[in-house]
Amino acid sequence: MADDETPSQTQESSTAREFSANGTSMSTTDVEAKLDKGNIEEAESSLRERLSLNSEEARTLLGRLEYQRGNVEAALRVLDGIDLQAAIQKLQPSSQQAARLVLEGVYLKVKSLQKLGKFAEAAQDCTNILDAVGRIFPQGIPDAQVESKLQEMISKAVELLPELLKQAGKYQEAMAAYRRVLLNPWNLDNDCCGRIQKAFAVFLLHSGLEAGPPSLGAQADGAYVPKNNLEEAILLLLVLMRKIHHGDIQWDPSVLDHLMYALSLCSQTPVLSKQLEELKPGVFHRTERWNLLALCCSGVGQNKAAMNLLRKSLHINERPNDLTALLLAAKICSEDSQLAAEGVGYAQRAVDNAKGVDEHLKGVGLRMLGLCLGKQAKVSSSDFERSCLQNEALKSLDSALSFEQDNPDIIFELGAHYAEQRNLNAALRFAKKYIDITGGSVMKGWRLLALILSAQQRFAEAEVVIDAALDETGKWEQGPLLRLKAKLKVSQSRPMEAIETYRYLLALVQAQRKSFGPMKIDSQVEDDKVKEFEVWYGLAALYSSLSHWKDVEVCVKKAREMKQYSAELVHTEGFMHQERGEIQEALASYINASLLDPFYVPSKVWIGALLSKLGSNSLPVARTLLSDALRIEPTNRKAWYHLGMVHKDDGRLADAIDCLQAASMLEESDPVENFRSIL
Amino acid sequence: MSSSNPGSPSATATSSSSASSFSSKAHSCIQALSSILSTVPSSVSSSSSLLHDPTVSSQISTLLRDPDSGSGDNNLCRWLYDTFHSPDPELKLVVLRFVPIIAGIYLSRIALRKSLAGFEAILLALYAHETTARDGQPISVNVPDLTQPSIYHEAKSSAKSQATELNLAVISPTLEPHGTMRSSRRARIVGVALELYYSKISQMPVSSKLEFCEFCDIWATGIQNKPSSSSSSKQKTILLPWELLQPSLRILGHCLLGAHKSKKLYEAASMATKSLYERSLRDIDAKAILATSSLLRLEKMALDPKLNVDHTEIDTSLAL
Repeated sequence: MADDETPSQTQESSTAREFSANGTSMSTTDVEAKLDKGNIEEAESSLRERLSLNSEEARTLLGRLEYQRGNVEAALRVLDGIDLQAAIQKLQPSSQQAARLVLEGVYLKVKSLQKLGKFAEAAQDCTNILDAVGRIFPQGIPDAQVESKLQEMISKAVELLPELLKQAGKYQEAMAAYRRVLLNPWNLDNDCCGRIQKAFAVFLLHSGLEAGPPSLGAQADGAYVPKNNLEEAILLLLVLMRKIHHGDIQWDPSVLDHLMYALSLCSQTPVLSKQLEELKPGVFHRTERWNLLALCCSGVGQNKAAMNLLRKSLHINERPNDLTALLLAAKICSEDSQLAAEGVGYAQRAVDNAKGVDEHLKGVGLRMLGLCLGKQAKVSSSDFERSCLQNEALKSLDSALSFEQDNPDIIFELGAHYAEQRNLNAALRFAKKYIDITGGSVMKGWRLLALILSAQQRFAEAEVVIDAALDETGKWEQGPLLRLKAKLKVSQSRPMEAIETYRYLLALVQAQRKSFGPMKIDSQVEDDKVKEFEVWYGLAALYSSLSHWKDVEVCVKKAREMKQYSAELVHTEGFMHQERGEIQEALASYINASLLDPFYVPSKVWIGALLSKLGSNSLPVARTLLSDALRIEPTNRKAWYHLGMVHKDDGRLADAIDCLQAASMLEESDPVENFRSIL
Repeated sequence: MSSSNPGSPSATATSSSSASSFSSKAHSCIQALSSILSTVPSSVSSSSSLLHDPTVSSQISTLLRDPDSGSGDNNLCRWLYDTFHSPDPELKLVVLRFVPIIAGIYLSRIALRKSLAGFEAILLALYAHETTARDGQPISVNVPDLTQPSIYHEAKSSAKSQATELNLAVISPTLEPHGTMRSSRRARIVGVALELYYSKISQMPVSSKLEFCEFCDIWATGIQNKPSSSSSSKQKTILLPWELLQPSLRILGHCLLGAHKSKKLYEAASMATKSLYERSLRDIDAKAILATSSLLRLEKMALDPKLNVDHTEIDTSLAL
């Protein structure tokens, strides 16, 4: 039948509606007039005569007419004339034509009830349709043998049932209906099945109702069965994505967005990356796809991959001013001194583009600018450049703060920057403010405060701070605090107490390793963990300062089991040789340590110091090494001291005085642990 | 549990023998409340009416918002604490209904250095309840690999030798017992209270979810949007670590895309999602940017009539 092409569809329906059946057709005008007068029987009989229909058929057509004219209640009245329930019971598998007619009548009733807001009743009738279909096709619907119109009606009923149950507020039953519909063969076409799968996934994700896993028994047959709502939703969305990739269904952006939401909540953004990569070209603009992929990578710390993508999307020929991409790129660069200079460019562009509706992002742009400049200063090769960059960094952070006065991150970063520049009073002010504003919930705040106090030589107060922090911290996260506490005790010349603290720390670290096993906690806790290596190394350094060489050897041996090639350990051994007067061995160890880690400063300082004592020939080499050490760590007071001595031995007294003054000033502001350990 | 209809007061089915003891518990509970509130309507006689009565909840909300609420000797906090320890699961729901406002006020007041022991006792009780219920175990989700067949799809090559590549995602880590509110664990404890709230969210009244959206706004941007007065006041933002943000995003997803029919809630949730999106940009939090931006796009699509064609509509033909 070619009904779909009749002109009545394209024209306004009221003028040229036509009934057609059994090869003849008639205008609806007369029938409509009869219906308007309330003469249902007359309307029915005129249809029966003109189109040779039986009563049920005529009523079904009349119902449809009323429904289309928007007279939903009238449609129900017309359909009331058929005993649909009885007709359903009598359905035979043999006659699809008869079945379709009856079921279409019921479906019309269902839609009418839905329009009237009688959802529960509608759902019941819709369930009856599906039950009847199940009786007609007990083995499922065979694709080849089903009449297309009947299939169309069944598909609609299948799609409608769970919607009706949701509308009726019967959420548990809706869950069951979705599964009934999706796990049985209704011969649905791809689009219809896709729509139902998506609707179910959305319902699973957002209804807030835990339905429990589907119970299939033997039906599962080795197939994967999701065990909760979230798993089931993700599975369905992945299945839908696969259909999209295969071209079975049309691209639907909402499927990807639902999946994006679900997977980011589970921190499974790499799975999302895979989906984005498989999408056909043209679905997304390439920069948009790169940016999304970069977010996915960054979400799991794959910063290198993220940067590669961002460089492409921020290229001058792509979208160089996309704020989200600029900020993400700047953030990644701010964490790596080798990328910091590049990051300055992104951050500056972000600041310049934070206008209009994006004005609120100016603060974060400036913050990133400050962080990148600060990081860049660390690898700067000249003193002049370094101090310029540091000043710029502080200026940016300051203006960031003027945009977001209560932003704890900026407050912390200002504190840490001031501390690194040994502006201890300013640093202290920000560190205290940070603890206030975060309610002491972040450990790095406590550590910064304690380090600043230790730099001010206020060791006892620093210890009070650490004790307060320990009170606020669960035992598994106490490691870095305890390590700091031990160092504070050393500074107060209480080595035995320090050893006790280290012992406790060691026990804690070992217990932690045993109790967690492979199951990772969250990343913050992971970062806050002290490794067993560091404890043994700390103990070795402590014993070495006490000249307990036997103990040093034991601790170094233990530490080496955890990390075989460590500049720190080799350096400790070097110091032991030096103290025992074995200068050649000491030098050899220090040189080995420098080879293991070219940025390891203490060994460079000692090589310089030892060489300077070997006679005037060695002085230029010593001077180079010490200058190199100061390039890496400008606040190393021992390097300044020995450089001063080299200048003195070489007869440059003015330079010597400058260096020794610097050393003495730094000694008064030396924290027990490098401020860098926090940032 | 029978068919649970949010908004209808028949949420949990209980056996008849315990029902009578529950009703007496509810009765004494309501009596205790009437000494704290100025009026308790006579219609409030059961735990479910307690959950859904608007005058009771608005009075409790007002008291919780009082600048001096939340201290250790606060009567209302004590009542909430005691009520949560009642064996009647519906009375527990009454307490959960106020989780958004308790968590919201509590976290916003941390910087003020006031005594908040009353709030802390309630939150710790919720945390302890969840810890016991889960036996401290983490909640994880498998992200399946489609090369293996599932109940919803067939795999082309079911190579049995291939190891199933399941990505195990921990969505809520192991719970350790906490007897006190250590500040470093605060976000986790409140986050778990929100997880508990989310697990019962289909039984929560709309007013409770509206309060959650309100506090999301405040947490994220410091701006308190008052839907009634169209004015807004500036408050302090709070740190939003993932352990707090993740359950908040799940609750927000429900408020924005769930099957409820409250327009007011859609609007509030949409505003809160926007706030969290802006915040995630300011924090440059990749996961949060992905989650909130996808919610915003989904909200837009849900409102677009072109994308919401009803495929179950009857076709226009009048042919048999």
